[in-house]
Amino acid sequence: MAVTKTEIEKLAKLGRLRFSEEELEKFAGEFDDIIAFADTINESVEGGTDEIRSVGSQLVSFEELREDEVILSLPNEKIVSNVEDVNGFFSVKRSKK
Amino acid sequence: MRYELVCGIETHIELATNTKIFCNCTTAFGGDPNTHCCPVCTGQPGSLPILNKKVVEYAVRAGLAVHCKINNISHMDRKNYVYPDLPKAYQISQYDEPLCEHGYIELESGKRIGITRIHIEEDAGKLVHENGYTYVDYNRGGVPLIEIVSEPDISSPEEAKEYAEKLQLIMRYVGISDCKMQEGSMRCDVNVSLREVGTKEFGTRTETKNINSLNFIQKAMYAEVERQTDILEAGGSIIQQTMRYDDVSDMISPMREKENSDDYRYFPDPDIIRFQIAQEKVDEIKSSLPELPFDKLTRYVNELELPETTARQMFKYRRVAEFFEGALAEGASVKNASNLITGTIYSNMNTEEDKELFSVLISAKQFGELVKLLDEKTVNFKMAQSTLQQMLESGKSAGDLIKKEDLAGISDDDLTKWCQEAIDANPKAVADIMAGKDKAINVMFGHIMKQSKGKADTKKAESIIRELLS
Ligand SMILES: [Zn+2]
Repeated sequence: MAVTKTEIEKLAKLGRLRFSEEELEKFAGEFDDIIAFADTINESVEGGTDEIRSVGSQLVSFEELREDEVILSLPNEKIVSNVEDVNGFFSVKRSKK
Repeated sequence: MRYELVCGIETHIELATNTKIFCNCTTAFGGDPNTHCCPVCTGQPGSLPILNKKVVEYAVRAGLAVHCKINNISHMDRKNYVYPDLPKAYQISQYDEPLCEHGYIELESGKRIGITRIHIEEDAGKLVHENGYTYVDYNRGGVPLIEIVSEPDISSPEEAKEYAEKLQLIMRYVGISDCKMQEGSMRCDVNVSLREVGTKEFGTRTETKNINSLNFIQKAMYAEVERQTDILEAGGSIIQQTMRYDDVSDMISPMREKENSDDYRYFPDPDIIRFQIAQEKVDEIKSSLPELPFDKLTRYVNELELPETTARQMFKYRRVAEFFEGALAEGASVKNASNLITGTIYSNMNTEEDKELFSVLISAKQFGELVKLLDEKTVNFKMAQSTLQQMLESGKSAGDLIKKEDLAGISDDDLTKWCQEAIDANPKAVADIMAGKDKAINVMFGHIMKQSKGKADTKKAESIIRELLS
């Protein structure tokens, strides 16, 4: 299924990105390639999640897990720097149900 | 037609770790919105979640405390659903390899409520809905939770409440959470269905979500049973849906959000390596568990021979029990120590919360020393009480508060002298006592207590007075 330029425009809008006409054309083609690549997974994963798990059959021991020590979080300005924020909150317009 | 209730409860408990489950952000409650956040807990592309060791340890503690089998190998799964409180559009949880399985909680009746599983997962963010907008705060996002899933063994609202109450007490005791339902660190989802008495098959169930008080569990269940009974009796059928209980109106109603799409497309999280906890480590955690609350209650009654009411007043609060047992270790007597705790100390603590926190200025050792003075009759009960009150207010020891001359004790000669004085000064009381009015003796005590500065043993004084009068 081909990804159209209009779909790329929609995604760009959601991602708050601006592209030139040329770029839009180019991305449409690249998206097709990416999806085709992802589809190759269908060929290799027959056994579903068990198959996926055996790929990562590595184990980590309890002792190697992360210690419970606080590190300072990011300042609020950084966290909301790329989103529409209201008083430090992420704000989402509610969709009508 | 007669129906019977079939109920199972899912309980979410926030673990009292310092950091979130997959990142080093603090789990502190509150804070300005989105100030306890980082790329991991806001789900930024390319960030890598790393499992917190303490979360695994606490979940194992929880499992062992309710007799679960611990799975030595376990992994995390992605539970996919789209909602603004979930920045990655999936929650990292556990599906088919939970950390703990097959436990139980025993009710007072001896009936066991099975625990199917306990798994670890991340909490979602908090949403505020206002003016057509949803405002999202991810401070709570990524806070570690355990979900404790019971078997559908519960058959009345009372059993449901008792189950939740016991669970809360046990989890507090093992120190993995404060389990405050009002603050959301413990929340219950209650599944309810009805079936005709005598039938084996389950009826269609509904799930009432996020109940935040023990009493509401019971009330919500009564409301839901009534609602389902009405529908069934009218020939209708129950729709499987999520309900909400409103405690103000005591009404139960379906939630508006479509939350019934049960296909979460679980799959193993490829970012988090499967983890293994050695049996030796599990055994080590098991041996570090404190005596569990209901074992303690039994011991208090059977071995310490405490009256059950007194034992019940103390066993519930782990810090109180530790304080009490610390005093016993100092050589204090069970009876005097428990009476002073449930009397004088509790009179300074008005709420359940106060007793839970049990912040007192004195140590169990200091308390034990005072109790011993009482045990040895160096001070009487009244004086022990007032000294204890002063100790609680100042943090001082009994030895610093009771003056040397007070501790010197009262000689039998002095006490006999004061008794005689009291008799001489109160002829009417003497006549009353002789006439069998026992209460009249209190008149005498006034004088004796004044002379002894409150130190006299009234029992001893009474026997002297009776002897003098005979
Ligand atoms: Zn974080």
